[in-house]
Amino acid sequence: MSFSRREFVKTSAIAFGAAAVLPSWVYEAQAAGAALFDENKEALADAALATAKRLGASSADIRINFYRLEAVNTRERQVLNVSSGQNYGFGVRVLVNGTWGFAASPLVTAAEVQRVTTEAVSIAKANAPYQKKKIELVPTPKVIDKWSTPVERDPFTVPADEKIATLLKINEAALGVAGISFCQSSMAWVNEQKYLATSDGSRIEQYLIRGNPSFSATAVNRASGDFQAVNSLREAQSIGFEYMSKHDWVAEAKTAAEHAVMKLKAPSVAPGKYDLVLHPSHLFLTIHESVGHPTELDRALLWEANYAGTSFLTPDKTGKLQFGSKIVNLVADRTQKLGLATVGWDDEAVPGQEWHIVKDGVFVDWQTTRDTAKLIGRNKSYGCLHADSWGSVPFPRMPNLSLQPAKENVSQDDLIGGVENGILIYGRGSYSIDQQRYNFQFGGQTFWEIKNGKVTGMLRDVAYQSRTTDFWGACDGLGGRSTYEIPGSFNDGKGEPGQSNAVSHGCPVARFRNINVLSTASSANAGQMEDDQ
Amino acid sequence: MMLTEQETKAFTEKILSFVKADDASAGVGSDKLMHLRFAGNNILTSGSRVSRSANVTVWIGGRRGAASTNDLDDASLNDMVERAQKIAATAPVDREYVPTLGKQEYKPTSGYVESTANLSLTDRAKAIGSIISECEKQGVIGAGFHATRVQAGGSTTKNGNFEYERSTNVSLSTTARTSDGSSSGYFLRSHFDTAKLDTKRIANEAIRKAVQGKGARMIDPGIYTVILEPQAVADLMGNLGFMFNARNAEEGRSVLSAPGGKTKLGEKMFDEKVTIYSDPWNAELPGSQSAQGGIPAQRITMVKDGVVENLTYNRFWAKQKGKEPTPGPVNTIFQTSGPTHSIEDMIKSTERGILVGRFWYIRSTDARTASSTGLTRDGVWLIENGKIAYPLSNFRFNQSVTQMLGPGNVLMVGKSERVGGSEGGGSNASLLPALKLKAFNFTSQSEAV
Repeated sequence: MSFSRREFVKTSAIAFGAAAVLPSWVYEAQAAGAALFDENKEALADAALATAKRLGASSADIRINFYRLEAVNTRERQVLNVSSGQNYGFGVRVLVNGTWGFAASPLVTAAEVQRVTTEAVSIAKANAPYQKKKIELVPTPKVIDKWSTPVERDPFTVPADEKIATLLKINEAALGVAGISFCQSSMAWVNEQKYLATSDGSRIEQYLIRGNPSFSATAVNRASGDFQAVNSLREAQSIGFEYMSKHDWVAEAKTAAEHAVMKLKAPSVAPGKYDLVLHPSHLFLTIHESVGHPTELDRALLWEANYAGTSFLTPDKTGKLQFGSKIVNLVADRTQKLGLATVGWDDEAVPGQEWHIVKDGVFVDWQTTRDTAKLIGRNKSYGCLHADSWGSVPFPRMPNLSLQPAKENVSQDDLIGGVENGILIYGRGSYSIDQQRYNFQFGGQTFWEIKNGKVTGMLRDVAYQSRTTDFWGACDGLGGRSTYEIPGSFNDGKGEPGQSNAVSHGCPVARFRNINVLSTASSANAGQMEDDQ
Repeated sequence: MMLTEQETKAFTEKILSFVKADDASAGVGSDKLMHLRFAGNNILTSGSRVSRSANVTVWIGGRRGAASTNDLDDASLNDMVERAQKIAATAPVDREYVPTLGKQEYKPTSGYVESTANLSLTDRAKAIGSIISECEKQGVIGAGFHATRVQAGGSTTKNGNFEYERSTNVSLSTTARTSDGSSSGYFLRSHFDTAKLDTKRIANEAIRKAVQGKGARMIDPGIYTVILEPQAVADLMGNLGFMFNARNAEEGRSVLSAPGGKTKLGEKMFDEKVTIYSDPWNAELPGSQSAQGGIPAQRITMVKDGVVENLTYNRFWAKQKGKEPTPGPVNTIFQTSGPTHSIEDMIKSTERGILVGRFWYIRSTDARTASSTGLTRDGVWLIENGKIAYPLSNFRFNQSVTQMLGPGNVLMVGKSERVGGSEGGGSNASLLPALKLKAFNFTSQSEAV
């Protein structure tokens, strides 16, 4: 038996009085593979698509989506915030005279669907006279199906007090370390229930879950006015509440706290050239910024020129440009287990799939959507269209993009063993890269000096700066499958209006030779100098 | 769809009528966003979104719970309250609880203009069509983004306070690239009144920068005298007024912390040409009538002639420290008490230096010194002997914001104008001047255009 979402809301107050947090329809829907959040959705979708066609749209789609967000934030021994949010609405996208139009509303009613569809067409028609080159789409097969994120324990069934207790234990472990003054921790859980109907006849329901637990331990030396923090190394994943027991967050918090205290006394790095050994908790973001964004086809087509920027890669370099050393293989994959961008289908009914972006060091392919693929002569899309809300225009977003591990069983110590003068870096720190993705500078959470094949002690204030192809060309060692992790970014911004995307970058530990390292403590002091030249 | 004052009062009072907690605050909001994106001298995407939201925070025996929904029917609002109360029933005691405000008197601000809220699709399409035509005429490839936003809503507390506000904002940014991809220009402005958004100036400035930026040369990175246009200042420190957090400073984890558990309040931390304040009733940059925690906003000065004059206390921290909560900031206004200078005067007075139009991808590298890294973008020029010599390739910088505004480093200050940071697309405008700084640290080159 299924309820409409409105019926759910009306009955949920009663359900809250019982032990179960959610009404039965949610569990039934999960069991079925996706939630049935509005029994009228098919009729509403049919009406929208028929109206769009009648008003002149050559293609149209409607997304009727329901989102839930639960967040808990704590600091030290107190809870700062526990929140539960819900968001429901629909968006209609139309293609009229080769011009896109879009409109969206939270009122999911037959009358509003008519009004919004008409508005989307009006917007397209108002802009069409200035459309110099018409938008065209590559075809995609019709599909009627359901898909859901595989989870062991739906976080939305876990009571708030269990979530709070989990975080306070993390804080307690950090605060138990002498010298730690503060510890903040949080967890955020997102559930997307998405219904997509297209004028090609596709009808898709998806039930997606992802979670983002994190903490930060801070050590303060009040006498000297110094402070240092270490954040959790684990990142967001598409996973249920089992994430909180599969990883030992309490042990990690204690270690992080010890490292924050050590960092106060650690020597600042001496700027210069070093070999770098990069742990997956750090390397994933370097992959994201230096490989993920420049291989987005919309950037190469100048569509992001006004905001995130373009790319040093252009379509004529496909299959030709030496992106990195021959051991570098980077694979896009929207089917990867635990991947934040893993889906059954994208937001225009193209299936999740896997393909090489960099093969044996050569740049070989792009991230595409139905409209961008057409512009480089392709006949299919790789399925990278995404909207972060029912109210957002879907546009090209990054799939999971992962560095492949070595086939041999190479350990982190094996890679360190081959370094005379280097630095081992853990964790996501400060990151900045230019608008065409050439020049980047990345920091981390903890930094360890390597001398003659051994880790000898902690450093601080480390950032490395390089040029994308130089950096990947300097990759001479990859860890094996046993060093592989799948960290990800919960909020990746792009586009105008700005939208957020969640995306993962699996990778092993990896080694890069002779990279420029600077000290963030000594490189930012212009303004205290006596003279400027 | 946009909420009136009467509807806001009715919805929030209805939410509170469902509440069975000791204390509560209920809010509702409505939002309309109209946008048009163009690229490659072509229309890209365009859309409209209306949305509404409701939220409630409750305290039961000092335990806090919060919930939200975007459905404002009775069942959904009641469900939202139940969810918040269920959270509060199991949460630990909120040690930072401060009772919600009783009735407050607000002095309204003026950031809402009806014609901005009702901008026609045809007028907007024509304006963007003109920009595309001008780009084609000048042989450049244009991209940009036009957005109009209307927001209205407010809140009611169980202790008797009610507030309602509405605002408008329209922004337009344009990027022009030469067809060979060797040069790029950018310009962004926003306003609450669409009549005051100069779309021609925005397009022309972007095109001018692209055309004049051809033939860029690379010079060594290093420490240079710089002239920062207001956009570059906005990118680097648009939210400077919001960094004066007392709690972080007193807890020893801020650039405003001083050794021995002290703070830099009262210190001359900045150059005497630096004055930073917040004013909700500024005619060009109206702020919210309500500051943090819902207290009525007032004009407050953070830095006066280089001296840190105020740290900001939220209601909880003020109570802990026996202070009054700070009625702001609600915006950032940087205006020098001394003379102002045009960018042309700044260039004329510079023997050797670099003119920067914009910064990009700025990220903090060291909170202890308020240091960050980032890059120049869309227009950098070398100045020699009082004149612009030639365009330059981009640089990465590593620089402390407080040190670059430190005593002796601020040589000249321009007249402040309304400008928002480019990563925020103009949604977060401040009033900021052009600055001539004695020393600024460029650490590497970037070939990006």
